Amino acid sequence: MALKDKRHQEITNKIRKIMKNVGDDILVEGIMPSLEIPKVGYDNTVWSDEKRMLTIGEKTVQVGPNSSKKIPTFAQYLVMANAIRKLLDEEMESTIRGMYYATLSTVGDENNQQKFWNGQDDSDDAIKAIELLTNVPREEFSVTSKPKGMISGPITLSVGGDLIDCNLGSRATSQLIPTNIRDLEIVKVKADFVMVVEKDTVLNNIRKSGFIQKYNAILLTGSGEPDRATRMMVKMLNEKWKMPVVIFADADPWGLGIALRYKIGSESLSYDSDRLVTPNSKVLGMMFSDIYEYNIPKVARLAATPEDLNRANDMKKKPWLQDKRWKKELNLFLERKEKCELDAFFKYGFKYLADTYLPNKLREAGVI
Amino acid sequence: MTSKVTTEVLEKGTKQTKTILQIPQKQKSKIYYNKKAESEFFVDNSALAGFTGERILYMSVRELIENSLDSCEINHILPVIQLSLKLLDPLNDLWTISCKDNGIGIPSDKVPVAVCSFLTSGKYVEKQQRGLFGVGLKMIAAFSTKDTDHPLKVWSKSEEESEYYFDLRTDIGTNKPITLFKKSVKNDESQIEGESGFKVEAILRAKLSPVTKNKIYDYISQTSIVNPYAIIIFETDEGKVTFKRRTQIMPNPSREVLPHPSDMDLKTLKKAIFNFMNQKTTLQGILSNSFQKMSNDKAKDIINRAGLTVKPADQYDEHELIKVVNICKHTKFQSPNTDHLSPIGEKILTVGMTSEYSIILNKETSTSGSQTHLSAKILKPSLTAYSSRICIVNNRPTIVECGIAYGGDIPSFKLYRFANKIPLLYDEGSDVAREVISEVGINKMGISKKDVKEQFSNVETRSDRTVEYLPIHIFFHICSTKIPYKTAGKESIASEGDLKKYMKSCLSDLYRKVSAQIRRELKIKEDENKLRLYKHYIPFIVNAISESIKIDSKKLSKAFQNLAEKYVSGELSNIAKQIFPDSDHKRVEPGNKKNTVNNDNGNENKLSKFDTRSSVSVSKQSNKIKPAKINIPHKITKK
Repeated sequence: MALKDKRHQEITNKIRKIMKNVGDDILVEGIMPSLEIPKVGYDNTVWSDEKRMLTIGEKTVQVGPNSSKKIPTFAQYLVMANAIRKLLDEEMESTIRGMYYATLSTVGDENNQQKFWNGQDDSDDAIKAIELLTNVPREEFSVTSKPKGMISGPITLSVGGDLIDCNLGSRATSQLIPTNIRDLEIVKVKADFVMVVEKDTVLNNIRKSGFIQKYNAILLTGSGEPDRATRMMVKMLNEKWKMPVVIFADADPWGLGIALRYKIGSESLSYDSDRLVTPNSKVLGMMFSDIYEYNIPKVARLAATPEDLNRANDMKKKPWLQDKRWKKELNLFLERKEKCELDAFFKYGFKYLADTYLPNKLREAGVI
Repeated sequence: MTSKVTTEVLEKGTKQTKTILQIPQKQKSKIYYNKKAESEFFVDNSALAGFTGERILYMSVRELIENSLDSCEINHILPVIQLSLKLLDPLNDLWTISCKDNGIGIPSDKVPVAVCSFLTSGKYVEKQQRGLFGVGLKMIAAFSTKDTDHPLKVWSKSEEESEYYFDLRTDIGTNKPITLFKKSVKNDESQIEGESGFKVEAILRAKLSPVTKNKIYDYISQTSIVNPYAIIIFETDEGKVTFKRRTQIMPNPSREVLPHPSDMDLKTLKKAIFNFMNQKTTLQGILSNSFQKMSNDKAKDIINRAGLTVKPADQYDEHELIKVVNICKHTKFQSPNTDHLSPIGEKILTVGMTSEYSIILNKETSTSGSQTHLSAKILKPSLTAYSSRICIVNNRPTIVECGIAYGGDIPSFKLYRFANKIPLLYDEGSDVAREVISEVGINKMGISKKDVKEQFSNVETRSDRTVEYLPIHIFFHICSTKIPYKTAGKESIASEGDLKKYMKSCLSDLYRKVSAQIRRELKIKEDENKLRLYKHYIPFIVNAISESIKIDSKKLSKAFQNLAEKYVSGELSNIAKQIFPDSDHKRVEPGNKKNTVNNDNGNENKLSKFDTRSSVSVSKQSNKIKPAKINIPHKITKK
């Protein structure tokens, strides 16, 4: 516990330093305070050849109370920073939703009353800003999100000292991946590889089929967009426990995006790639070409929406997706305008996905 | 119609002939060819004059006020008009409407026909006028006769005559007035105080919906905008409102004008010849005397080109005369005169726009139920502008006037349309003025929709046009001897000829004139908003800081407020004082504004901030504040 305290002190000192700077600007220097925050987004996302992942660039934004738009934002950031400091001082932990509630307030007088936050998105953004300002990931603030990642297979975790064996003999359930990662440790791994799938429904199907036992695999899912804990778990298994990682997502631009989150990172979390991205992982499917290779019946294919097409066109333009393989896949999608979910294999029988498609793909990739 | 009456027209109008023609036996049914009296025709087709069920009272108010104004302006009398509209018998929907003015009155011998006989008017000349057809007042008389057993009560006092009182009804079948009673009134019984005047009181059967009632209120308040020299006293069951006289200036009355030769047709030409019947004048003389822009030489040239021989003017037959008409249609003449028109004028419209009355209905709920009370409020805008154009539309000289009133008490966007000083209240959507507003963008004047929406976010408007978010009233007045109305109802103006072009250039003019001020006001509003934001958010910021580190939160708060004021100030010191009344705010010289204000570049800017001039006020403050103890738990270096 002593070690933890020290880290907490480091972080609260960082926050106090920010407060002091703002106070000095106003009191001593008599100037408008301003916070310099690294810019997050496409135009400040840089591909690193060395790290093989997306990283954040040099650009920054100034947030100070100098425009009608920024006055509330500036106040929100300071209020959130203070709330995080309190949380750490009190040795408590909270979800991002909890932080939203802890800082809820109204602004203004009777004639002109507004909400301090327009919604949780605002407070989430403020938490992100404090991460960027302090260069500390929010898990170290003891601020987490609701767990939604799931794991199954021959792995034992320790959460705050409690051992959790994920190799559940019943095949009936999976373990949630805890989000309070500072309390989480991997104790034992006895698998040959790690397979990440996009959705929990697909994971359940594969688990039920006995895939884990047959191929000695760990199954993981982020249940859609993976949270940070899931991404970190994948990275840890790959880099610390030397597990090969393969990823399967739906054959649509959304699914491809999710698969790539694990492998190369994302624009919105580019500042945290070092903790979250697993560059050695392999995205094996479902490829757009698989729709035709496995001759998915027409009824199981879905028509691409205009949104899908925009997304695919956007992806094609990203400098980090210029790899021939991705271009070919995206072009195929844009040409055929068809997408497909992994669940489509159920059309060939409930066991086809786990018994035929996945082993084929894994064999092709030399994983089994 | 209170103007002088031409008896000629009356005689023609009252000759009623009824011929029954029998159709040969071949056909079984018989067709009777009747001639209808004008009065009967108008009563049967009351929609032609706008008197439709819902609008009877609205049209009556309109006609009476317009007559009164015309009657005053013709002799340059500053109008005093008293209008009253009261419910007489709720069971039978009977209303008493009365209108009294100080106009020229009607000579006592002409009163009955002027009030009751349709198509009798002193206004049948080429002249810019409010009413034209000699129908309005007659319509009221006919409706009163038709629907009630009450007589129309009339008091009239014209020049060099004493006051007379009449009880009148209309013989609808013959278009003849029925004088039930007539007497000269004196002293006690007198209703007309001044040298001349006219009062009419009628009982009408009509329903009044809330919508129409509001239209009546709108009509009167809008009339007062373009007639600020008139006193209008308006009384209803809900109360009494007086629109005061805000100026003594009256517009020059419009004058009668000769027709322009491009408008000549067989009828106008024959009428011109008829007018000169008894004088031995040549056709050439008649042409040059009866039409404007027609010199003697030009008339001669036209007659020559028509190949007509010289003979007495009344000897030409229609085949010869039509040649003259045709030649005129193909001849270029100078543009018609405009000096006979009577625009509102910049001075008067500006008075109207700066003292715009708005009728307010106060709902009061008491033990005896809820009651509404009328009152009026003057809207004072923060700025007004005026622009006008003289143009020719369909060969008729036309003056377009446009005014803008912005800000101040004005709550939101509104378009006002006037034609020959009459407010147009219906069919705004199809009026050319609507098109003009859509097609002239205020955005080009550096007033962006984004800024406007931000500052006037509370404004509700169906349109998404920038200007409709602004607190702005736009006034259009078209005056002409013939307004290009879209419909017989005379409620909207069609986009004919170059009218729209001229209206657009007027509006662009005004946008140019007011945009700088609007931009300034937007800036002021933005600054106010900013100061409000500071006021609301500074406590949050100060609290976050003072909970985290040891700091004198009062001093921090005060210093922050000062800083915020200074930041916004520059142009806005007085508003800053209102919001932070107890602060020892110092105004920064405008020249220093940029240095103290701009903080977009953070660190880099901090160095440049202390330039020599701005440091006067800033450094004093830091001296004052330095002694405050700031204890930070750990030694922390600056960013």
